[in-house]
Amino acid sequence: MSLQYLKEAVACGDSEKLIRYVRLHLGDGNEAHGRKEIDKAWIEALKLLLDMPETDREFVLETLRNKEPETLAHLFFHLHFYFVQRSGEWIHDGTL
Amino acid sequence: MTAPFDQPRQLRPGLWETVNERYPGSMLSKSDFVPLAPAKAGVGVSPDLRQLRGRAAGGTPFDVVHPVGDYSFRRVPSHCKPSDLEIHQIKYPTRGAHRDLNVIFPIERLQELVSEGVVGALTANLFSFIGYNMDPERLERTLSEEIADAVVADGADIALLCPA
Repeated sequence: MSLQYLKEAVACGDSEKLIRYVRLHLGDGNEAHGRKEIDKAWIEALKLLLDMPETDREFVLETLRNKEPETLAHLFFHLHFYFVQRSGEWIHDGTL
Repeated sequence: MTAPFDQPRQLRPGLWETVNERYPGSMLSKSDFVPLAPAKAGVGVSPDLRQLRGRAAGGTPFDVVHPVGDYSFRRVPSHCKPSDLEIHQIKYPTRGAHRDLNVIFPIERLQELVSEGVVGALTANLFSFIGYNMDPERLERTLSEEIADAVVADGADIALLCPA
């Protein structure tokens, strides 16, 4: 896989190739692990909100309103790893 | 049972004899040799070492989460101690490197070689970049060129490449 491969997948609308790459990236080369990692991040985020704690919604809305989509996409990847790390089940070999 | 070879078998004899014709400058020839001892600056360039950042020097950590990679590099002052540096990587085991950073970034060994007079000096900076890059053309066009320029600007005579 290369950037060219991914761009061609975008051009062809081949979502399977794209999500496979995301899973491989997040799962350190193992697609099944990648799926689980995505689930782990969402579960961790969900758990934090179940008791309906106070959150800085102004910050969230302002960030979404004022930041460009590319920065938000980058943040999305950061948030994934943040929540996975927070879950305590860190499969990666190094540290974030 | 297969008998062991008495002599190592060269699968492609003569391969290296013509390598400089095919890829000019890729193999050292006698005229290329640089004597290490007489005050020639040695530089440890660290392609694929990638995960160090100098606490003293500050700077943003490498972007280890970006799906396409990070095409920046960091200067690591060559006088640094391992305790000044931080590994920033999630894609390969770092336990060994945390015990002894020199296994991926032989900064103390290089400092020793200088103090023993084997190498004349180190350049002011060593260089580090991340190896998770999905765009080899961009890697070559930007990062490789930028590091090469920085190495030349530091007055290096030789470069040591240390993949992690």
